[in-house]
Amino acid sequence: MKTDMPINSGNIGKANKNIMDVLPILSGRIAKLIEKFAYFDQMQLEEIRLRAGKPIIFQNFNTEWFADQRGNLTRNPSEAFIVSQEDIRVTVELMSENSVYAYQDEIKNGYITIRGGHRIGLAGRVVTEDGVIKSLKDISGLNIRFSNQVFGCSKKILGYLLKGEADIYNTLVISPPQCGKTTILRDIARNLSNGIAEYNFKGIKVGIVDERSELAACYKGIPQNDVGIRTDVLDGCPKSKGMLMMIRSMSPRVIITDEIGNEGDREAVISVLNAGVKIITSAHGYNISELKSRREVLKLIEDRIFERYVVLGNSNGPGTLVEVVDGISMKPLRS
Amino acid sequence: MLLKIAGSIIVILSCSFLGFILSADCKKRPQQLRELQSQLQMFENQISYLSDVITDAFDRIGKIGGSETSVFFSETVTALRERKARSASEAWENAVRNNIKRTSLNREDEEILVSFGKILGSTDLDGQIKNIRLTLSQLKLQENKAEESRAKNENMYRSLGILGGIAVVIVLL
Repeated sequence: MKTDMPINSGNIGKANKNIMDVLPILSGRIAKLIEKFAYFDQMQLEEIRLRAGKPIIFQNFNTEWFADQRGNLTRNPSEAFIVSQEDIRVTVELMSENSVYAYQDEIKNGYITIRGGHRIGLAGRVVTEDGVIKSLKDISGLNIRFSNQVFGCSKKILGYLLKGEADIYNTLVISPPQCGKTTILRDIARNLSNGIAEYNFKGIKVGIVDERSELAACYKGIPQNDVGIRTDVLDGCPKSKGMLMMIRSMSPRVIITDEIGNEGDREAVISVLNAGVKIITSAHGYNISELKSRREVLKLIEDRIFERYVVLGNSNGPGTLVEVVDGISMKPLRS
Repeated sequence: MLLKIAGSIIVILSCSFLGFILSADCKKRPQQLRELQSQLQMFENQISYLSDVITDAFDRIGKIGGSETSVFFSETVTALRERKARSASEAWENAVRNNIKRTSLNREDEEILVSFGKILGSTDLDGQIKNIRLTLSQLKLQENKAEESRAKNENMYRSLGILGGIAVVIVLL
């Protein structure tokens, strides 16, 4: 494993946007520590983890590092920079803009989306009342997850989704965790919305129901990720309610939403189709037969709701296309 | 002789002027207390209906201006934006302490304002609203007291100024 990568060897170029986005919300000590990382683009950081009394940890898709006191990356935990409880407290205060009350719902759900679309997960002591989570206090762990948009990652898939110049197939994207499901959905949304010159496809109105603020990653209601010019986003709205709301309010041609499979999702999907609107969604899973073990999804498959199944894998890095299956004949179109 | 008359007039005028300033100050304090209450009320509306963060809400309140107390809000925003304070509470306390001299508010009012800042932004919405309501009721009490003393003192200062001026002239003549 490369130990001196890349802090001592990187070329100084334009500042890394991801790092610049998080600097303002980090405690002074930590911001100072990672400031210079901004100039080393090739790190492709995916996560920064802060835990009270534990070393700060940086992670990209295959490597993890600590940082020493001077901000050089190291793989030796004994000289690592230790995050203090105070660092966590200040960071939480800054990321909630000194206004915990305005973020209480986000905190209850365990994460906050910041400017730039990055998400910060929180761990601490949960306060419950009658079994309902009221808030989170004594926060001791933070996980800063960078949002990485990959433009054009759905290129291979798009061809299978288009039906003529302005119509598409109802599609279910199936993928194991960490295989780029959300990234692919986002790219699909962007392309359908903007139009695809290659297929002579004109842009259509897209409605994104973004229950967990992952697809569009809204900050104060404005999508931080590029989701296309004809796209409307309902942020933080429960999927089943949001889909119906979206149809009534914004009359989209297609609804895109992430991670279907909860109680009530099936009815919502059926009402979407009854309204003549198409749907593109995703589900956790390794293949179609595994999905059938999940009741809510099984019913959707049996009803032949989806006309295309796109299965993703991780064999050639995140977002590898495994197969595309025709939902009516259940025959693979490509494998 | 002419010089004496001119001097007397100057003494009387300046003493009355002093009296008028003091009496105007009596009027200002209840007015500023009222303005503070409406500003806090605005803050409550902004956080409960718009879910605005402190900087946005205070920024708006500060920009409406027209009141000596706006500066508490705008200075808090500046301190937070420039990261000069470690928390909203600290930023508010500094803004109040640094600017209270420029208003007609007294020591008691100052302490009420500072204690309002103690949990500013650091609780959920319920906690914030309770804090605002508590502060509002305290400010209301202060306003009533200030109103009473205004009624008592306003005229007194004014006449004291004029009469004092005349008294000085008589003694010196």
